[in-house]
Amino acid sequence: MYEVTMPKLSLTMETGKIIRWLKKEGDKVEKGEPILEIETEKVTVEVEAPASGILHKILAKEGEEVPIQKTIAIIKEPGEEIPEETVVEAKREVTVPTAEKPVERVKASPLAKKLAKEYGIDLTKIKGTGPGGRILKEDVLRAVEEAKAAAAVTVTPTPPTPTPSVEKAKIVPLTGIRKTIGKRMAQSLQTAPQLTITMEVDMGEVVKLREQVVSETEKKLSLRVTYTDIIVMAVAKALKEFPFMNSRLEEDKLKLLEEVNVGVATAIEDGLVVPVVKNADKKSLVEISSNIRSLVEKARQGKLSIEDVSGGTFTVTNLGMYGVDVFTPIINPPESAILGVGRIVEKPVVKDGQIVIRPITILSLTFDHRVTDGAQAAVFLQRIKELLEKPFLLFI
Amino acid sequence: MAKKTIAYIDAIREALREEMARDPKVIIMGEDVGLGQGAFTVTKGLYQEFGKDRVIDTPISEESIIGACVGLAMAGFRPVAEIMFNPFMALVMDPLINHAACYRYVSGGQVKVPMVIRTLVCQGRGAGHDHAPFYASWFMHIPCLRVIVPSTPYDAKGLLKTAIRDDYPCIFYEHIDFYPRKPNLGEIPEEEYLIPFGEADIKREGSDVTVVAILTGVKASLSAAEKLEKEEGISVEVIDPRTLAPLDKQTILNSVKKTGRLVVVETDFKTAGVGAEIAAMVVEEALEYLDAPVKRVATKDIPISFTNEKYILPDEQAIVKAVKELVLK
Amino acid sequence: MLEFKLLAMKKLNNYHPKSKVRVKNKNLIGGFNMEKEILIKIYQNIVLLRKLDEKLIELFTAGKLPGWIHPYVGQEAVVAGISPHVRKEDFFCATHRGRAFHVVKGTPLRSFVAELLGKKTGVNKGRAGEMHITNWEVYSTSSGIVGATFPMAVGFGLACKLEGGDRIVFCTFGDGASNRGTFHESLNMASVWKLPIVFICENNLYAQFTPSRLTTAVSDIAQRASAYNMPSKIVDGMDPIAVYEAVGEAVERARKREGPTLVECKTYRYHGHFYGDKWETYRSPEEVEAWKKRDPTVTFKERLLKEGVLTESLVKEIEGRIDSQIEDALKFAFESPEPSLEDIYEDL
Repeated sequence: MYEVTMPKLSLTMETGKIIRWLKKEGDKVEKGEPILEIETEKVTVEVEAPASGILHKILAKEGEEVPIQKTIAIIKEPGEEIPEETVVEAKREVTVPTAEKPVERVKASPLAKKLAKEYGIDLTKIKGTGPGGRILKEDVLRAVEEAKAAAAVTVTPTPPTPTPSVEKAKIVPLTGIRKTIGKRMAQSLQTAPQLTITMEVDMGEVVKLREQVVSETEKKLSLRVTYTDIIVMAVAKALKEFPFMNSRLEEDKLKLLEEVNVGVATAIEDGLVVPVVKNADKKSLVEISSNIRSLVEKARQGKLSIEDVSGGTFTVTNLGMYGVDVFTPIINPPESAILGVGRIVEKPVVKDGQIVIRPITILSLTFDHRVTDGAQAAVFLQRIKELLEKPFLLFI
Repeated sequence: MAKKTIAYIDAIREALREEMARDPKVIIMGEDVGLGQGAFTVTKGLYQEFGKDRVIDTPISEESIIGACVGLAMAGFRPVAEIMFNPFMALVMDPLINHAACYRYVSGGQVKVPMVIRTLVCQGRGAGHDHAPFYASWFMHIPCLRVIVPSTPYDAKGLLKTAIRDDYPCIFYEHIDFYPRKPNLGEIPEEEYLIPFGEADIKREGSDVTVVAILTGVKASLSAAEKLEKEEGISVEVIDPRTLAPLDKQTILNSVKKTGRLVVVETDFKTAGVGAEIAAMVVEEALEYLDAPVKRVATKDIPISFTNEKYILPDEQAIVKAVKELVLK
Repeated sequence: MLEFKLLAMKKLNNYHPKSKVRVKNKNLIGGFNMEKEILIKIYQNIVLLRKLDEKLIELFTAGKLPGWIHPYVGQEAVVAGISPHVRKEDFFCATHRGRAFHVVKGTPLRSFVAELLGKKTGVNKGRAGEMHITNWEVYSTSSGIVGATFPMAVGFGLACKLEGGDRIVFCTFGDGASNRGTFHESLNMASVWKLPIVFICENNLYAQFTPSRLTTAVSDIAQRASAYNMPSKIVDGMDPIAVYEAVGEAVERARKREGPTLVECKTYRYHGHFYGDKWETYRSPEEVEAWKKRDPTVTFKERLLKEGVLTESLVKEIEGRIDSQIEDALKFAFESPEPSLEDIYEDL
């Protein structure tokens, strides 16, 4: 009886993997004849029969990882009787103690673990912001808020990351809010054929208006009205006039919504949320402004309620502060359109035959092509442009 | 309650004087404590007031000074010994550890060993390896010893009086930085008062991180806290345990439960030091309230030489750094 | 090895009965009437200490005694000789070979034996054992650290001095302890402060397993007293009368507040440092036998019988009484409970 053992092929080799048995039990083998293939950390090699005879028993299956020097097969001489115990004994030897699958350890502070348990948050789904990615108390609390706000999460123009063939990258698992945003954006693009049209708007009058309003409200109400506030007001008025833009597509029916609830995309750490200005068409500029202020504040503190982020019928997203001119915002489902606002920049424009310097912004309107077409959408955008260029119309 | 301003060194002397006047069993003994007024004049005037039998100038025989205190204490007296510099405590370990600390218990309550050892931490003055170091964890480790670390005139007086009346051996630490009068003035009541052992003092309230500090670490932590508040908006709670044994665990734990972060500031050597014990206690009893690792700000594990203290002793900057590491990302 | 033996024998010869160190006042008994009671007390104590230790060794070898045992057998004349001078209020520092002292000082046999057996009814609730007994009812204490009681004696001496009165301190120690720093520190303090302490050295020639000669620069520990300006005396420690007299002088000095004295008693332990040590490796059987010939339980008894202080019937009566006292104490101790888990939290 000869034992075939896992050969040690290098100084560092500790185990070898059985790739393929070239002979099966009962086959005749010649000394020096390859009988199986094994794979070490470096190469695949053939293992030769140490003696001639019959391949009596194969003790390690293909795919099995076997420590060196362990018996993997038994060759007997023709006619030799091999007691079963011998085989069993050899087999017991070959059984590799399977390394326990390493449990993925979540790096979290003890306090974070305790809170996660209390709130029922799955720590493996949270990204830690502490040293070495440790999940901290505030990460858990944020996740708690995000879980509440998730329903209204939306809109972010994230370019797809090309996957290089040879990857050298730090792996950041998508967790929490990031994951939700991704899912919803993908769903938006997959279900709605979207088209973006852009239009330049002269913001000169809005700038003036805002200065006047600020000078009036800042001291009295400690409120600094922003361009976004004014744009939301204009959008709300336009939506009331163009109800198809304030709609929800339900299967083959278009639901024109009575309420005009304008969401304002707000960046927070790790993503964005869209708190909603309810009945924006019925609110004064000051009301809209203070409404947005308090929502943004809540968003930054992670204190938005479900109520704050639900019921939106249209979304405004402003990337002007980041120097963006034109972009193609993605609709926040189940809404039908979204308005992107670029930066206000002074540009030479021709006005009444004269070249003048005017503060210009570009509005980017993305709409669901199933709901309307380019021409109608353009008219809607035209109306917003008009309201902004002649802001007194907002008050009529 | 009427108040008066007093320097740290005078607060200690006042405690000694009051207790000697109150109880004829209180005896002071040590090298230079009588005619010599004490190496740093702490016992000035007591020899003249109470006589050589109650303020006893001893030979340079540390082990026998403390051994004699054990005998005096067993015989019903309340000796207060002075061991001039903290490292000299190495010379008194047998009578203190094997006898003073254990006799009450192993005698089955037959004797009590009420005694106080006042000793000086002389860090930061180039006093060298055998005069400068602060060793407190040695004694925290021993059951039935009291370890007292007052950082203000108020604490010094109130705790020393309590120590003299306590029925267990007490190690009472004074720090050389507290001896100059001008920077170490504080208010104390005109009336007699005592401070119970095991009651920490919250020197400053805060919400982001708990700093447990003793002796000179208290002042450094308070000024670090102010800086952190102003520059980083970090709110630091500073707790002075005042006695390390018994330790007011509850006040420390309550604070850590509030802030989720702990830094221990002390000038014992870092390894197996005061901070190590407090850190271990908090981890053991409040792990699930910790949102960050515990930091120890302590003396580097290097023998103190007469020139290296500026590199190895912790300072305000080290406290600021430790807090920032825990709070900022 | 040979050198060891020679040294030890040379030492021994110095204190052989035939040598010039002699028992003084042979005629003491006839001259002083009241001393008969003292002589009997001394004899009783010798018998008690001998019988007690023999019993304890018996228990130890039977595995009934926890810990170990450092027998006093052979040295009884020292403590017995001191015993008549000791008052209840006097402080008494014993050594690790110290069981005898506590009994002589007045610790009841019952609570004493119960302590050795680790029982709750022991004098220290079964926490001290043979080496660490403190009985503050009679102000006796001891330490397992050789030389640790010198400074404690200084403390007691200071207390006596501060209190006034004529209370004094007895501090017994071995030849080995005189090499500790505390011996020198404390004798200096005791002398400079004129403390009422009687230092009694039981020089049994061996510090644990090592002959004193190999470790100690002086052959007489008493010599060391001169460095501290302290009077001293050397006596035959196998002769209780010699011990009694020398200690008596020292006690008188102390009670009169004239300062401390060192009395060195040349004595011998028949057993090893602790029971069961291989003493054959560091001393010869001849040496042990030579000392045993001077055994106080025999020689002192014979003297007292000869002088008519004792009679055979009194000897029997004394022995019988002591045997029954020891039996009673053992019975009490064996029937006593061991400390419980709750008990460990007492006295904290």
